[in-house]
Amino acid sequence: MEILSVQHLNKKYEKFALKDVSFTLEKGYIMGFIGRNGAGKTTTIKSILNLVHPDSGQISVLGMDFAAQEFACKQKIGLVLGGVNYYPQKKLKTITEVTRRFYSEWDEAAYQGYLKRFDLDPDKKVSQLSDGMRVKYSLALALSHNAQLLILDEPTSGLDPVSRDDLLELFQEIIENSERSILFSTQITSDLEKCADFITYIKNGQIIASTDKEDLVNSYTIVKGPNDALSEAFTNKLIGIKKNAFGFTALLKTADRPAPDGVVVAPADLESIMIHIEKE
Amino acid sequence: MKELLYKELKLATHPTTYLFLFLGTMLLIPSYPYYVAFIYTLLGIFFIFLTGRENKDILYTVSLPVRKRDVVKSRCLLVALIEIAQIICSIPFAIIGVRINPNPMGNPVGIEANAAFFGLVLIMFALFNAIFLPMFYKSPTKVGTPLIAGSIAVTLYIVAAEVAVQAIGLLKTSLDTTNPAMLPRQLPVLVAGMIIFTLGLWLTYRRSAQNFEKVDL
Repeated sequence: MEILSVQHLNKKYEKFALKDVSFTLEKGYIMGFIGRNGAGKTTTIKSILNLVHPDSGQISVLGMDFAAQEFACKQKIGLVLGGVNYYPQKKLKTITEVTRRFYSEWDEAAYQGYLKRFDLDPDKKVSQLSDGMRVKYSLALALSHNAQLLILDEPTSGLDPVSRDDLLELFQEIIENSERSILFSTQITSDLEKCADFITYIKNGQIIASTDKEDLVNSYTIVKGPNDALSEAFTNKLIGIKKNAFGFTALLKTADRPAPDGVVVAPADLESIMIHIEKE
Repeated sequence: MKELLYKELKLATHPTTYLFLFLGTMLLIPSYPYYVAFIYTLLGIFFIFLTGRENKDILYTVSLPVRKRDVVKSRCLLVALIEIAQIICSIPFAIIGVRINPNPMGNPVGIEANAAFFGLVLIMFALFNAIFLPMFYKSPTKVGTPLIAGSIAVTLYIVAAEVAVQAIGLLKTSLDTTNPAMLPRQLPVLVAGMIIFTLGLWLTYRRSAQNFEKVDL
């Protein structure tokens, strides 16, 4: 069942626009939402939650129309806009005491369990937590009100590799055998290699791919070769050519193979796909 | 709404708000421009908005399952609650003030702290709310501009009210006195203040909510 459906989202700003953004996320999966800084990730997330008013488009959460049933939809969503950065001088227990009242399905036992598991001290202030702990606290809140859709905006940026890995494992655990799904935006493509099932890629406010991660990665290959292999016909097929004195590197759609002789073909990864596509 | 009000009191209310409630004691000062005590209330309200911005209060609040207009409603109610609390906390000091500093000639620098005065303060609050809140909710990152606009309006209002009470003979005799005989003339001002405050709050909320609805956060 679709847990989140975004259809034809448009939002025009003076210098930027979201253009016909559409994607869907099924139950039980992790979707990575990638794109450069300023590509429209946060604007899309905020539009989903009606924090930004889209000019047009439909959002539905668990089959409910967001605009019509905003309140019910929000009960099912755990939103983490880059870790807790609000009320830094308040103790966790104070923030929890306030937050839990808003959720009809608050599960205090589960919350206490997450505190223990994430090693969070409720008597600490938000400002005393590291970035990783802040994200964990946000997750503890979201999971304790039985959120089925976790929307996380750059939860891993600013974390050290160990904390990031730890968090990614946690994401997988959260969705395992469950009714939950996670949509998380990031620019750290290696995070997605580790845990995402689907990738939605946004560039300049437009979705250029929203698909299974394996399909996306397999649809491109990396080609390397000497500059004299760049015939006009071949160059036209290449994406984001990077040249130097020793030769070139570029992205080639797997469907556009074979490459000419003397050109090395290697499997692509998300990072190289992103780098070459953004170079176009 | 009660969850949101709880949040306002537990997270958003700045400690000076409670401290300023004691400034009702300024009503004990003999021959003083008593509006000053209530200007501190407005300053306390400003602090809530200022620290709210620094603490990312709005982003936290809208991530909860609430409607945008309820975010505005709870804040408007908090503001009104503080203003009413300030008045209630000041009344005992106004009564004591009269006992310890009887002023048969009236207050030479402004109106006496009587029933009419509290009505005029309520109108002052209504005026401040009507300017500050809709302006803030139009662009919630700016707290200074609404404060300046609100302060100018309040200053002009106080000067006009004080000058009128001192300069117009009828107002001087009926309003600038704590003589109980003048109470029937003062009570209508208090009632008018209550009506303007309540009605103003409702209109202020509607306008602020409309403005906030249009804001992209």
